[in-house]
Amino acid sequence: MSVLTPDRVQEVLRKGGSARLDEKVSAQFQAGDQVLTRNINPVGHTRLPRYARDKHGVIDCDHGVFIFPDIHAATGEKTGQHLYSVCFTSAELWGENTKHPDDLVYIDLFESYLLASG
Amino acid sequence: MNGAHDLGGMHGFGPINPEVDEPVFHEEWERRAFAITLAMGSHCKWNLDMSRYARESMEPAEYLSTSYYEHWIHGLELLLLEKGFLTEDEIQQRMSDIAAQEKT
Repeated sequence: MSVLTPDRVQEVLRKGGSARLDEKVSAQFQAGDQVLTRNINPVGHTRLPRYARDKHGVIDCDHGVFIFPDIHAATGEKTGQHLYSVCFTSAELWGENTKHPDDLVYIDLFESYLLASG
Repeated sequence: MNGAHDLGGMHGFGPINPEVDEPVFHEEWERRAFAITLAMGSHCKWNLDMSRYARESMEPAEYLSTSYYEHWIHGLELLLLEKGFLTEDEIQQRMSDIAAQEKT
């Protein structure tokens, strides 16, 4: 990225920054696959929320390859990983007494957060 | 990290009540916080994920009792110190100067 000069501010703000990477990376999962999220508790940055750790879900779709934020935050290195929309039931996330057990929660999760399951 | 920012599933915060015609900024200093954060980001000494991590590193009790743009300013201050743009003394000095100006 070059120096941000006043004449470029409008353009840069309008465009925003994308974390998408134009890289060929093989995908471990595809839509319909059952997965289990890992139970990780890193002291660094992660985008796997606490309530979604060690939970069963189903891959809804593959968004493509994006910069893996956990490593990007730690070292600045841009490593490409597939990012999936993963579908969880409310009962899986919040337990048996949840008011609406069949409600669905979709969370965008990186491949290394996921284990094959089922 | 398992910080105060990871609020999903926590009880007791009450309902979310979106404001009608919510302004982009509620205070003039928030506009400046936003602008300074973006301007400093253009130095490329850190990336978006590093600035998120800096905000998450705020002391948990402080994080929960402060506003969105206060988190931004905290994160920016941390990064400016870490990368050597500013020293703690310079920040303290500037705060004292502003406090003195406001008294007069």
